[in-house]
Amino acid sequence: MSNESDPKPVSRLLSGLVAVALFVVLAVVFVRASFGDPTGFPADAHVTASLGYALFNVAGASVPGEGFLAAFEIIDLVLVGALVGAVMLARRETGGALVGALGSDQRSERSEPATATDGGEN
Amino acid sequence: MATAPFDIAPAIALLPFASFVIALLAGKYLPKKGAYAGILATGGSLLLSAWTFLAVGGGNTYNQTIYDWTAGVGSNVISLHFGILIDPLAALMLVIVSLVSFLVHVFSLGYMNDEGVEGLARYYSELGLFTGSMLTFVFSDNLLMSFMFFELIGLCSYLLIGFYRTESAASAAKKAFLITRFGDYFFLVGTVGVLATFGTATFAGPNSFPVVAQNVLNGTASVTTFGFAPQTWFTILGLLVLGGVIGKSAQFPLHTWLPDAMEGPTTVSALIHAATMVAAGVYLVARMYGFYALSPTALAVIALIGGFTALFAATMGAVKDDIKRVLAYSTISQYGYMMLALGAGGYVAGVFHLMNHAFFKALLFLGAGSVIVAMAHEQNMWKMGGLKRELPLTYWTFVAGALALAASVPFSGFWSKDEVLYTALTNGLNGHPLLLLGYAMGLLAVPLTGFYTFRMVFLTFHGEPRSEQAKSPHGVGWTIKAPLAVLGILATVTGLFNMSSVAELTNAHIDYLARWLDGSLASTSTAHYGDLLGNFAGYAAAAFSPLASSAISLVLALLGVGVAWWLYNVPEPVEHTEKLGSVKTLLVNNYYQDEYQVWLAEGVTADVARGADKFDQGVIDGIVNGASSVSLFGGNRVQRIQDGVVTNYAALLTLSFIVLLLVVGLAGGWF
Amino acid sequence: MVPANYYLVLSAAVFSIGVFGIMTRRNALMFLMSVELLLNAANLNFVTFSLQYGNTTGQVFSLFVVALAAAEVAVGIGIVLVLYRNFGDIDVDKAMTMRW
Repeated sequence: MSNESDPKPVSRLLSGLVAVALFVVLAVVFVRASFGDPTGFPADAHVTASLGYALFNVAGASVPGEGFLAAFEIIDLVLVGALVGAVMLARRETGGALVGALGSDQRSERSEPATATDGGEN
Repeated sequence: MATAPFDIAPAIALLPFASFVIALLAGKYLPKKGAYAGILATGGSLLLSAWTFLAVGGGNTYNQTIYDWTAGVGSNVISLHFGILIDPLAALMLVIVSLVSFLVHVFSLGYMNDEGVEGLARYYSELGLFTGSMLTFVFSDNLLMSFMFFELIGLCSYLLIGFYRTESAASAAKKAFLITRFGDYFFLVGTVGVLATFGTATFAGPNSFPVVAQNVLNGTASVTTFGFAPQTWFTILGLLVLGGVIGKSAQFPLHTWLPDAMEGPTTVSALIHAATMVAAGVYLVARMYGFYALSPTALAVIALIGGFTALFAATMGAVKDDIKRVLAYSTISQYGYMMLALGAGGYVAGVFHLMNHAFFKALLFLGAGSVIVAMAHEQNMWKMGGLKRELPLTYWTFVAGALALAASVPFSGFWSKDEVLYTALTNGLNGHPLLLLGYAMGLLAVPLTGFYTFRMVFLTFHGEPRSEQAKSPHGVGWTIKAPLAVLGILATVTGLFNMSSVAELTNAHIDYLARWLDGSLASTSTAHYGDLLGNFAGYAAAAFSPLASSAISLVLALLGVGVAWWLYNVPEPVEHTEKLGSVKTLLVNNYYQDEYQVWLAEGVTADVARGADKFDQGVIDGIVNGASSVSLFGGNRVQRIQDGVVTNYAALLTLSFIVLLLVVGLAGGWF
Repeated sequence: MVPANYYLVLSAAVFSIGVFGIMTRRNALMFLMSVELLLNAANLNFVTFSLQYGNTTGQVFSLFVVALAAAEVAVGIGIVLVLYRNFGDIDVDKAMTMRW
């Protein structure tokens, strides 16, 4: 997709080096860490069911965990907010009437002021 | 009620300040433009000073802090305050200053008001400000307060010299202010030095700086002396303060302003440039005498400067034609005698001459003022002559003052000048050759003094009138005659207060002034100073007959008077000084001191100032501008990191994250 | 199970690849995909420790992370849309007007 200047090989190399450096630092730390024996899950535990119990703060989980009901509700709000935000970002107005996002292929829309939407003030 | 006059001691100075305010604000509406307010105020000050004088005579003194205007924080507190110190010396000086000021105010009614001078409200307000400041200076109890009022009286001198708003007056006023300011710079440094060394600048009392300095030299106390030996450091401090004294008392080399200051009204010359303001410098030395007495070097410097100035100014006064200029050089010369006295260990002699000089010099100036009024403001003596017929009272009082100045028996100047020379001689004979040098110069100045004084008298009053105005001069009113009469009497009798040579010969206790000054405040008494002089400066009087010394100076004085009589007491005197030829040119041009000082300012100082300016603009401003340009340049370069390309930001983020991890890891021991 | 260190190294590797993608990719959608990689690396971490300590907390948390990732992508694509409208191209290097 990028036709003009590709990222120059040098800058690609540098970015690669940076990424590698990050990996090296993290890996060194992780390899040197010691955690002891892992406590796995018991062979007959119902992990997924316990996830559900934990999500809704219901007792009786076979694998121990914490309650996440509050977080669950909040993430629900977050999702709603994200949806609303996405829709608001995507809409356009032409003279008061809402047009769907699919109208973006029509070049005639270019005559509108460049700051068509900014997700807030219109 | 021994404390009564002391509780209202501030009023001595506040009354003239009040007259200053009244004349300033309401002067132009008053009938005499503030003269009566001034007369009442100075009269009130005179009465209060006399009352204080009597109280001190009864053995009381007063040394009190009135107002603390800073109180330091911490343990090493240097507190700065206003306070009042009234001991015998201060009480005497208060009476002198208020009396002369009162007489000058009365005289001004005749000299200024009756002559129809403009702007008198300004004149009387400035006189009031001056009197108030001078009185406060006299009773200051610490060096910083003295400095502040020293500057104030310098300001009043500037204002009053420039009273007639002519160009020469303005230039003279500026010159006076600048030269005294130059000296005061050293005074300020000395004051700060005293405060930094001793933590206090008070003059008297057990914790005052002269007493502390004495204890340091005795080994019973110690102060920081900034790396110098204590004696050396005290000498340095004394010499620094001496800078201000030299400027204010018009000693060599800062004497050039006083003759030009004659541009001001004659009453101003009488008050400020004869009796009081120039006395401030000598008074300061007397006030701090407990400190100066500890340093023989400073005393020797004072004596030498004094003796030299006495001779130097007397030579210049002998060739001047303007009556006021002769008196100006005479003033410089007489203050030289006072400095010689103080430097030679003659505290009483110096103060005695100060007192006498205040009266006879004010008398001479006021007499000159009377002559000037009579001559319709002509001041050149060669246009006068024969005035004694028309102005008898002026003539006789002037002669009294002249005899006092020329130091002939029994007038006041004789006793005091004789005592000055005697002290210089006896202390000098005992191993202080510099004092002998000062004595020699002072002695040489005696005949010159007699000469120029009586040249002035004869040219002005004797002989035939040499101009129309001299043939029929104006009459003068009682406001002019009364002060002259009072001062004439004083000039005659004040010598009797301390006829020390007679006292020594006859063992009679008639040296009143010496006993007055040996008063009840221990740290400022003559006996204490005598101890200090003996112990630290090494002054001890040799045996020399006081009669012989008096005889020598009397003979020389009469010799000078005789020469003037022979040359000038003729009906048609000629300018005999022309015969001196090029010497006269040198003297008339004041040894080119004025030109020298201008050259110093233009040639030397201007170049230094230019260099300093370049340094300031180039280096200091350069550093400041450089700091800002570094910041601007750095900012300009650093801001280019923000280039708007998101991937670069991500790279920077990652890089910083790595660095952070490394730092935290190394510190936390992860590796 | 394998000691946790190996899982962590794996997650570090995935994270580094994601970081490389962010630094290098110019297409906005590929950029968003790299961000997803970062989030998934974090998820790996959570699940590893859930196994290590025998606790469901890690796994529940990773569910939340997934939900957040979804929300973030939704908004992110909306932003890409606006970006296209303003700059005519979804190349992130073209949108460099917010600079000094």
